[in-house]
Amino acid sequence: MNEEFNWLEYSESVEETATEAEESSGRRGFRRFLPDRPKLPGLPGWAGLPRRPRLSRPRIPGLPGLPRLPRLGRGRGASESAQPSASDLLGGQANRPVEELDDRLRALRERSGVSAAPDPAPNQSLFDVDEVLVSPAFQRKPGGVISAVALSKAQQQQVEMLKDIVGGPLQSQAGNGGRLPRPASVFSLSAAPRLLGTALLVLMASLPFVSSDFAEGELPPADFHDDRHSATSFYNLLDNISGDDYVLVAFEYGPAAAGELDLLAELLLRHIFAQRARPLIVSSNPIAVVHARNIIRDINRSIPDADARLTADKDYYVLRYLPGGALGIRELSENFADVARVSARGQRTGLDFISLQDLKLAVLITENSEDLRHWAEQVLPKGRNLALLVATGYAAQPLAQVYADSLEKVFGPVYGIRDAYTYGEKLQANFSGLLPSPPKQALAVEPEPAPDALADGAASDIAPAPQVEPSREAESTTLALVATLPATATSQPTATTAPTDTPAPTATNTATPTATEATLLAVEITAPQRVNLRRRPTTVDDILALGYPGDLYEVLGANGDGSWYQIALSNGLDAWVAAFLVEERQVTASELAGGQANASASPQRERAVMRLGFNFRLGKNQPRYYQALTPETGDRPELALLRDRSLEIPRLQAMTLGTLAAVLVIVIGNLLVALRALLRRRSSSA
Amino acid sequence: MGRGQRFGAFLSALVAFAVGVTVMLSLLLGDNPALFGNQPGSDELARRLALPADALLRLVAIFLALSIVIGIANLLFVHVSRLKSGKFYSAVLLASFGFTVFWYVTRQGDTSLLEAVQLPIESALAALLFVSLVHGGSRVMSKRGDLWGLLFVAVVVLVLLGSLPLAELAPLQAWSDWLMRIPVSAGARAMLLGIALGIVTAGLRALLGQDRSYRG
Repeated sequence: MNEEFNWLEYSESVEETATEAEESSGRRGFRRFLPDRPKLPGLPGWAGLPRRPRLSRPRIPGLPGLPRLPRLGRGRGASESAQPSASDLLGGQANRPVEELDDRLRALRERSGVSAAPDPAPNQSLFDVDEVLVSPAFQRKPGGVISAVALSKAQQQQVEMLKDIVGGPLQSQAGNGGRLPRPASVFSLSAAPRLLGTALLVLMASLPFVSSDFAEGELPPADFHDDRHSATSFYNLLDNISGDDYVLVAFEYGPAAAGELDLLAELLLRHIFAQRARPLIVSSNPIAVVHARNIIRDINRSIPDADARLTADKDYYVLRYLPGGALGIRELSENFADVARVSARGQRTGLDFISLQDLKLAVLITENSEDLRHWAEQVLPKGRNLALLVATGYAAQPLAQVYADSLEKVFGPVYGIRDAYTYGEKLQANFSGLLPSPPKQALAVEPEPAPDALADGAASDIAPAPQVEPSREAESTTLALVATLPATATSQPTATTAPTDTPAPTATNTATPTATEATLLAVEITAPQRVNLRRRPTTVDDILALGYPGDLYEVLGANGDGSWYQIALSNGLDAWVAAFLVEERQVTASELAGGQANASASPQRERAVMRLGFNFRLGKNQPRYYQALTPETGDRPELALLRDRSLEIPRLQAMTLGTLAAVLVIVIGNLLVALRALLRRRSSSA
Repeated sequence: MGRGQRFGAFLSALVAFAVGVTVMLSLLLGDNPALFGNQPGSDELARRLALPADALLRLVAIFLALSIVIGIANLLFVHVSRLKSGKFYSAVLLASFGFTVFWYVTRQGDTSLLEAVQLPIESALAALLFVSLVHGGSRVMSKRGDLWGLLFVAVVVLVLLGSLPLAELAPLQAWSDWLMRIPVSAGARAMLLGIALGIVTAGLRALLGQDRSYRG
C-alpha cells in the first residue's frame, strides 16, 4: 500500500489547500485549517481574551520549597517542572554512552545504520525513523507540506534528539537483511548487574529449602494480633457456623495466584468441612472452578477412610461458572436460586434456595481488588443477613482493608501466606483438642512411677486409665502436628515438680475416685480473663491454646526462676503459662480430668461468648470482635488439620530472605546509578 | 460512508441507547420499592420494573459465555492457518490442545493437568514478575534522578523492610504500618472514587453514542 502512495502528489495537494486557507483566513500554520471561531455579538473574540498564565509549581506560603537534588543522568533539556517532559527523558538518554542505552533504543540506533545506506524499499519498517520523519519528498520541497503540517519548535527539538539517539554512526547492519540485531548476550558486561541481582534473589529465596541453617525471621504468630479485630472476627464467624449452614465460597483467583492463595483456600475449606457445614463454591473464572474441585479432591485424599470422604453435591457443591465477570456476579446476586440449581458439571444440585438472603456467610478468596469491589457492591447488598469474609493476596490487601474498615458487613482481610500460617495455627489450637489423645509415648517419654508408690500398693487402687485407641487419621494428623513443633516443645519435666504417679488424665473419666487416690500438682488459672498458653516460656513465642479462668492443668515442670509453668494440655501437647496468672493446687486425677472437661463449658467462657445473630448494628468505632465458640462434638476435627505442613516454614523463611535480597538489590542498584552519574558529571565538568 | 452504512450506524446507536436507558431505568426503579412510597403493591411493581434489566443482563451473560466458545474456535482457526506457513509454536499449541482434550475425555474428567502444568507455569511467571519489579526498582534513579525518585525508592525500601519479621527491624515496622494504613489506604480510597467516576463517564459516553465499540 505504501508503494502505491505518491507522496509528491499528496504534498502538492496539501500545499494548495494550505495556500487557499491562508489566503482566505489570513492565518498561518495549522490554524489555517480550523473553522472560524464563533463570535457572540457584543463579546470580544477569543483572541481578545487574556491568555491562560502558565502554571508554575504550587507553593505553600510560609513553607520553604522542596530542595532540588541534582538531576542525575541528565545533561540537557532539564525541565523546570516536577513532571519530566518527553524531551527530558530523551535528553537523559541522549547524554548517555551507547552501551548504557535501553536495549530497544540501542536496537533502534543500530537499525538507523541500515537506513543510512540506500534502501531499495523505503517505509517498510517502523524502525526506519529517518525515512518516515524526513522523507525525500519533504526534503526536496522546502516550504511544501512541511510548512503545512509544521511541527512546533519543541516537537522539532524532540525529533532532533531522537535522531541524535538513533542516528549514530555505528557499524552498518546492511548485511543482515534488515532484521533487528541480536540482543546483547546475558553474559555480556552490561548485563552483569542484572544477572547478579537475579542470581542473588534466586539464591536467597532458595536457601531455606536447602538447609535449615538459613532459617531467618520469626514465624507468624499463632493468633491474629489484638489490633486485627476484623481478622479475628473472620475466623470466629466461620467458627460459628453449624452443620446445617451453607457457606458461599467464591474462588476468584487464577493459577498465577495459586502459590499465594492455595494454602489459605484449603484451610478455609477445611474449617468449613470440620464444622460439618457445606460450601457452595462459585467463580467467575472458569479455571478457578476446576481448581477448587482439585483442592477438594486433595482434601478428600487426606481422609484414609473411604466412607468418610466428602461427596460432591452432598457435602459440598461446585456451582456453575458465572460468565461475564461483573455481570456474572450480578446474576448470582439477582438469581441465586437459579445459579444454585446447577453444578459445574451441568447436573442438578437439588438445592432449593429462594435468594441470597437464605445465606449468612460468604467467603471471597480473590487475587485482585476488582472482584472484591464487585462482591462488596453487588452481592453484599442483596444478602440482608450476609457477612462477607475477605481473603486476598498481598496486592488486593490495601483495598480490602478499606472495605473492611468502611462496611460493617465485611470482615478481614486475611491475606497472604503469613496469615494462612496463623489461620492454620488457630485451627490446630482449636480443633486438635477434639481429637482423641494419641498414645503418650508417641509424644514424650513417660516418667517412671515412683518406687515407693508401687511399693505401698497405692498404685494398685488406681484404675488404669482406659486406653483410647485413636483412629488412624486422627493419629496421623496429630503426629503431623507434633512433627512441626521444635524439639524443645516436648522437653522432659524437671525433677523438682515431676508428678509422682502414673495416671494420665483423659477426657473419658471412667475411674472412680477413691480415698486412696494420689494427688497431682496442678495449676488453676486465676487470671480474670483468658490467658495464652505458649510453646516456650516467653511472651513472644507462639500461642498454642487459650486458657480460661478456672481451667486446671497438670504441671510438668517449671523454668529456672519459677516464673513459668510447663503444663500438659488435654490434647497431649505441653505448653507454658506465666506463673502470676495461675495458682498451684494439689488435685486428684479425677479432679484434674473433671476440671479439664469442665473447662470447655466454664461459666466465664460462656459469658465471653457473644452469639452472633447477624444484626450488624454495632457502632462504627466499636471493634467487631466475636468470641469463638467451642467446637461442637459433632464436628470433624480431622478435616481441619493439614497433614503435611513441612513446606510452610521454609516458604515463610524464603519470603523473608527474598525480600531482604530485593532490598539489597534495589539499594545497591540505585547507589551505583547515582555514583556513576556523579562521576560522569565530574568528568564532563573537568 | 454510504447511505446504508450511515443508516446501520444510526440504528446500532439507537439500539444501544435504548437498551442502555432501559437497563438503567429498570435497575434504578426496580431495586427501590421505596421510590413508590411503600404503597401496597409497590414491591410487585418494582419487581416488574426490574424484569427488563434482568432479562437483558442474562442475555449478555449468555452471549459472553458463548464468546468463550467462539474465542476457542477462532484461536484454533488462526493457529491452523499459521501452521500452513510453518509456524512451530502454532503446532505446539494445537498439539497441546489436542492432548488436553484427549486426556480429559479418556480419563473421565481428570483435571490433574491443570495442577501439573498450568499452575506451575503461571506461578513461575508470577515469580518472574517479582524479579522484574526488583530489577526495575534498582534502576529508578537512572530513569528519574530527582527528589521524587529518591522518595519512591525510600518508601519502597521502608515498606519492604517493615514487612520483614525480624526483631532488629521492629522500629521500621511501625513506620511501614503507618504508611500502609494512612497513605496507602487514602490512595486506595482515591482509586475507588476514580473508578466510580470513570464508570459513570464511560457509561454516559456509551449512552450518548460517543463510544461506539459495538460497531467493531
